[in-house]
Amino acid sequence: MVDHLNGALRRANRIVALALGIALVLTVLFILTDVFLRGFGLGSLGGSDEISGYVMAALASWGLACALVHRAHVRIDVIRLKLAAPGRAMMDILAMIVTNAIVLLVAYQSWPVLQKTLERGSRANTPLETPLWIPQGIWFAGWLWFALTATALTLIALSYLMAGRRDDFEATAGIGTEVEL
Amino acid sequence: MIWSVAISLLGLMALSIPVGVVLFLLGVGVSEFYSAFPLLRGLGQMVWSSSASSTLIAIPLFVLLGEILVRGGVAERTYAALDKWLSWLPGGLVHANIATATMFSATSGSSVATAATVATVAMPQAERLNYDPRLFSGAIAAGGTLGIMIPPSINLIVYGFLTETSIPQLFLAGLIPGLLLALAFILVTVLICVVRPALGGPSRSFGWSERIRSLSQLLPIIFLFGVVIGSIYAGWATPTESAAIGVAMAVVIAAFGDGLNLRSMAEALEGTIRISAMIMLVIVGAYFLNFAMTSAGLGRQLSDLIQGSGLSPFGTLMLVIALYIVLGFFIETLSLMVATIPIVVPIMAGLGYDKVWFGILMIVLVEMALITPPVGLNLFVVQGARKRGSINDVIMGVIPYVLVMALMVAALIALPGLVLWLPSVF
Repeated sequence: MVDHLNGALRRANRIVALALGIALVLTVLFILTDVFLRGFGLGSLGGSDEISGYVMAALASWGLACALVHRAHVRIDVIRLKLAAPGRAMMDILAMIVTNAIVLLVAYQSWPVLQKTLERGSRANTPLETPLWIPQGIWFAGWLWFALTATALTLIALSYLMAGRRDDFEATAGIGTEVEL
Repeated sequence: MIWSVAISLLGLMALSIPVGVVLFLLGVGVSEFYSAFPLLRGLGQMVWSSSASSTLIAIPLFVLLGEILVRGGVAERTYAALDKWLSWLPGGLVHANIATATMFSATSGSSVATAATVATVAMPQAERLNYDPRLFSGAIAAGGTLGIMIPPSINLIVYGFLTETSIPQLFLAGLIPGLLLALAFILVTVLICVVRPALGGPSRSFGWSERIRSLSQLLPIIFLFGVVIGSIYAGWATPTESAAIGVAMAVVIAAFGDGLNLRSMAEALEGTIRISAMIMLVIVGAYFLNFAMTSAGLGRQLSDLIQGSGLSPFGTLMLVIALYIVLGFFIETLSLMVATIPIVVPIMAGLGYDKVWFGILMIVLVEMALITPPVGLNLFVVQGARKRGSINDVIMGVIPYVLVMALMVAALIALPGLVLWLPSVF
């Protein structure tokens, strides 16, 4: 059951990462078109700045969960490395719980941003006049997803810890290295 | 407030809580204990306005550019070509290590991936040709740090974003010190290998026809750097646009070397998202902490601190440098930069130091952090790719290069023109 949940979470976040990657590639194409049109004096598509900002906001919310399942968020492990396995596990679970709490708080505090936009029907102050609820909705959903992923991972890590499954715990809540990516 | 934030910052990071999370946590703490009005209500808005940034999207684009080149096998081919051009120098292949690491970390933010790639390609050669493992692996670790100085540099984008400094100006400012460092690395290697030939390996000469042929591997990369950096300086493109152009060129270069398929492209994209998200959590956290501290009256406290300390501006500078060297033993590059910028940069700017100049100085200092034990990411990476011996070999090997960096810090202080001249002529 726990393993199934863990596997599903990983697969889902892989799909999220790929979707974000594709969005990034589309942004590159959009920016390039804009640069070329401008270079040849054909005017501009307009709004490539604005759109790339929205893509960045999506990446910086949805992507956070992908980094979390891969244990890619930087942690300083000077002291952790000096400890024996139980001490390390203590630090890992502490880090996981604190992370979870902060992510929940940020997700909770992000809602008013979207809420105000929805109430006022705000549009971006740009030629595109983008209805802001679209990018902010995607961004807020990303933080919700991060909160959900963090909570699920905390529970998964706790259950591995209780069951004494050290390697699985390490793979869920330990410190990953960029090298193995 | 300044001291309690600084101390909690170190304490919480030592507990191995993720750095980005620590910054958020401190922001919440400042809001609770030091602010007259609730700042938490601004949290969501700060997170949104710092993430929805067309400046910051240059970060994932530069990461992607590097990932494509490295995963497309371009780094291996560049290494082979640079070997033909540089191995006649005393020290042989060690120079190819430095040059390849410099070139590749220059394109990407992921100097770790660069160091790993170069180490993987180079290590078998080192064994075959009987190199001393210390200097050989030290050169890869040290060369890999140069990428955050030579533009395009993700660290400089982050610095510019958080301190409201012009990113093109910072890129211009980093060029001369970065190239000087690379040159100094090569010089010090030659010196060491002339005095103690046993530390290097055989110098090997290649014929000119071979060298000319290898240019077909080198020129596309040099052209790529030229276009990316040139388009920013010429004013044709913003850093974000030049990054997009660079990504397109990297795809073309990697496709010609038939190292790129759908699978490696998907891996490159996934890796890019992970690395960029990791960077973004730290940046957004720092942005919120910055906002919280400023709203809680950081400015007044800082001026009190500076006036009350009795230190001259130069004395403060020395103190800050010492702080970075000590923290650099334990904390990694980007975390170190981002966590200290909200406190240190306003102090230095208040004392009249130029923000562009200080940014470059800070980069040299955090470059040292990448290769100083016990926590030096590049040391681990190179050791990881070596798969034999002890990490102490790598640590011994970087010592000469760390000394070169220390000299560079002194040079930047004595001759600020090294940094400020190039931005002033454009």
